Amino acid sequence: MRARDFQLASCRTCGLLQRLPATRGHCPRCGSTVRLRKLDSVQLTWTFLLTAAIAYLPANLYPVMTVVSLGRTQSDTIISGVYYLLLHGDWPLALIVFVASVLVPLVKIVALTYLLLSVQRRSPLRRAQRTRLYRLIELVGRWSMVDIFVVALLAALVHAGALASIQPGTGAVAFTVVVILSMLAALSFDPRLIWDHEEDYDIAARGS
Amino acid sequence: MSESERAGEKTGGEPVACHECDALQCLPLLGRGQIARCHVCHAKLLRVPRGGLDRPIALFSAALILLLVANSLPFMTLDIQGRRAITTIFGASQALYEAGMGGLALAVFLTSIAVPALLILSSLYVLLDIRFALSLPGVRVALSWISHLQPWGMLDVFMLGVLVAFVKLGDTARMHVGVALIAYAGLIVLSAAASAAFEPGYLWRRLRRQRARRAR
Repeated sequence: MRARDFQLASCRTCGLLQRLPATRGHCPRCGSTVRLRKLDSVQLTWTFLLTAAIAYLPANLYPVMTVVSLGRTQSDTIISGVYYLLLHGDWPLALIVFVASVLVPLVKIVALTYLLLSVQRRSPLRRAQRTRLYRLIELVGRWSMVDIFVVALLAALVHAGALASIQPGTGAVAFTVVVILSMLAALSFDPRLIWDHEEDYDIAARGS
Repeated sequence: MSESERAGEKTGGEPVACHECDALQCLPLLGRGQIARCHVCHAKLLRVPRGGLDRPIALFSAALILLLVANSLPFMTLDIQGRRAITTIFGASQALYEAGMGGLALAVFLTSIAVPALLILSSLYVLLDIRFALSLPGVRVALSWISHLQPWGMLDVFMLGVLVAFVKLGDTARMHVGVALIAYAGLIVLSAAASAAFEPGYLWRRLRRQRARRAR
């Protein structure tokens, strides 16, 4: 039995189950707006996701920072930053940074695309696994911010030292856009859509 | 209210819809430290934290103190060829701003300082209101915020960034750990423990019962 069939919905903020007068209503417990499904979930998620995917290219191609030290200039991209850690024998840290800033955004973009397509095709397959995938995406996205914090900290320390200077690059801006937009994409996706239209398939199966 | 009544929290039988798959079901009776999961997709429906309200109040108060320490004292000290550089947590977003990256500076400031601070303060506000039945204004708004802001507070991610920065500067300069960094490490442990003892769904129930009792 699903809540939607009875015009029922749980509040996204406080979880209270309530009957909605229309497709939306006001939660009597916490006062926020309650909808049967998140507003324009599929369209909004696509918008955030595609923008994030476009920004993913400059985020990885442009340097996230440029170090100017004693007349030498050196630019670092996300990948070359990971490579640096690897060269210094710090492979556990290199692995963490690689996963957080290269793999996670990419996997997130691919996985959300898959979820959106499967929802739009009303796929009845592997609903529980897809829900778990969504849960994972929602959880790991924030860790991608780590590289931005590194650039900020290095800029702060080295700038204060005045011997060298670190200039944050265009890549850092693009990368932050990727992280924030892909987090927004995950937040605007409604996992309940994965489970919708279950009944249609049951009826179709019985009819055949 | 008796202790057993408080622990049981009368969740048994209450109808809920899973927020991930929309399956209608009734909550089982939950004791402290127990979690109810959706019978279809195993998403968390409700958790009744251990330690009632006193534990999160204690943990969030301690976290607030460490937050103040971490943000007001030097975070890292760097020695490069006899010159010394000191930075604070705020210094990280300040450096971005001075480099002409205003938006980036704002994103770092919000996720590393503003949102964590707001989360700790509003959690304490809500907890103290419910614990001492104060009926303070804006408690519902504060509790709503907390549920939506949580992913944007990035204390733990910032800490990982500190580690990476340490390694990257390791061979060009001597790094000294500031008092604030130790406070910050403690803050992460404390706020993780505090969030584990803090369950918005459980607080909403207590808040409603309290308001209902007062209305009677």
